[in-house]
Amino acid sequence: MKKKSSEDIVLEIKDKSELMVDLAYSSLLYNNKIIAKEVYDLENLIDSLFQKIQKDSLEGVKNGKLSVNSALTLMRLAQAGEEIADAAQEIVDVELRDVELHPILKLSVRESDEILSKIQVNSKSILCGKTLGKLKLGSETGMMIIAMKHKNKWLYGPNKNTRIDQDDILFVKGPEDGEKHLIELAQGLSNDV
Amino acid sequence: MKEKKDKKTILGRLQKTPLWKKEEFSEIEYEPTTVKDLMTEMKNISELIIDLAYSAVLFYNKEIAEEVKYLEVRMDKLNYDIRIMAMMAARTKEDAEQLAGILQVAQASEKISNTAGDIVLLLQDKNRPILSRILNKADEKIFRVKISSNSEACEKKIGELKIESETGMRIIAIRRNNFWIYNPQSYAVLKANDWLISRGSDEGYNDLDKFLKGKLKVLE
Repeated sequence: MKKKSSEDIVLEIKDKSELMVDLAYSSLLYNNKIIAKEVYDLENLIDSLFQKIQKDSLEGVKNGKLSVNSALTLMRLAQAGEEIADAAQEIVDVELRDVELHPILKLSVRESDEILSKIQVNSKSILCGKTLGKLKLGSETGMMIIAMKHKNKWLYGPNKNTRIDQDDILFVKGPEDGEKHLIELAQGLSNDV
Repeated sequence: MKEKKDKKTILGRLQKTPLWKKEEFSEIEYEPTTVKDLMTEMKNISELIIDLAYSAVLFYNKEIAEEVKYLEVRMDKLNYDIRIMAMMAARTKEDAEQLAGILQVAQASEKISNTAGDIVLLLQDKNRPILSRILNKADEKIFRVKISSNSEACEKKIGELKIESETGMRIIAIRRNNFWIYNPQSYAVLKANDWLISRGSDEGYNDLDKFLKGKLKVLE
C-alpha cells in the first residue's frame, strides 16, 4: 500500500470534516441516530489523523524534508478541520441525547440556503444501476450525495464508483430547485439527466 | 427585518473602518428576533464562512478575510441573542431541555465560525504553494472567474440562470468594481466584468467557465 503523504492526510481531514457537518445536520433533520453515530466514528478517525499529521510534520522538519513554514501550514489546516469535526460532534450530541428535538431545529436546518433532503430511488428511475461518476448528479442537478442507504448498508461520502440501485435512500444537499429535479429523476418521472 | 438583511447582502459594503471592528464595539442592542431566525442565520453563516475563509487564503485576499472577521463577530452577537431568547422562552423543565439542544447547535456553529477566523490567519504564513496545492486537490474546489461582456449571464439574475442547479457551482461572493457581494441571493443580478468566486466540482466549473466567457450560450 502506498504511504499517504502529509498533504493527502490534511486533505482527508478537510473533506471528511465538511462531510461530518452535513451529516450532523441531516441527523437532526431526520432524527437519524445511525448517521449521528457515524459522525462519532468519523470524529475518532479525524483525531487519529490529526495526531499523525502532527507527528509526521515534526519528523519532516527534523529530516529536513519539510520547511518549518510548510509544517506549520499543514498542522494549522489540519487543526481547522479537527475543530470543525468537533463542532459536528457537538451537533449530533443533541440528537443522541434522550430529549426530543425542539421543532425549531428542524425548521432552521430545512430553511437554510442549502437544503438537505432524503430521497428514495424507485424501480422506474433512470438512476438505477448507474454509478455516480457516470450520472454526474452534482453538476447536473446541483445536489451532492452525502450519505446513502443501500439495503441495510450505509455509505457515507460516496465516490464516483458508487452505484445507485433501486430502493436506495439518498441523503443529499443542494439548492431547492435541484431537489425537485432529483426527486423527479429518482421517481422515474423524468429521464432528463 | 428581512428587507434589512437582504439589502446588506445585495449591496455589499464599502467602509473605512473595518466593519468587524465597528460591530465589536457597538453596544449590544436587544433585537427581538425569533430563535428560529437566529438559528437559521447562524447555520447559514457557519457554512458560508468556511468557504470564504478558504477563498481568502487561496487567492491571498485580505478583503475577504475582513468579511470573515466581520461574520465571526456577528456570530458572537447572534449567539448571545439566541441565549437570551431561549431563556425567555423556557417555561418548564421540558422546554429548557429542548432549548438547551438549540443552544448547543448554535454554539457549534459559532465554533465553526471561529475556526474560519483561524483559517484566515494562514494569510500571514509565508508558505503559500503548499496551501494552494492542498486546497486544489479537495473534493470541492474554489474557483475564480470573470464574466465577459458577451456572456448570456450579463444582466440576469442568479436564480433565473439556475447556476447552482445546472452546474452544482455555489456562488460564494461577487466582486464588482470596488465592492463585494457576499453570499449573493437568487435575485442578485450578474453584470459584465464581475468576478465570481464559486465552489464546486471541476466539471461544474468547466461549464460555468464557458458560459461566463460567452463560449456556451445556455446552461443545461
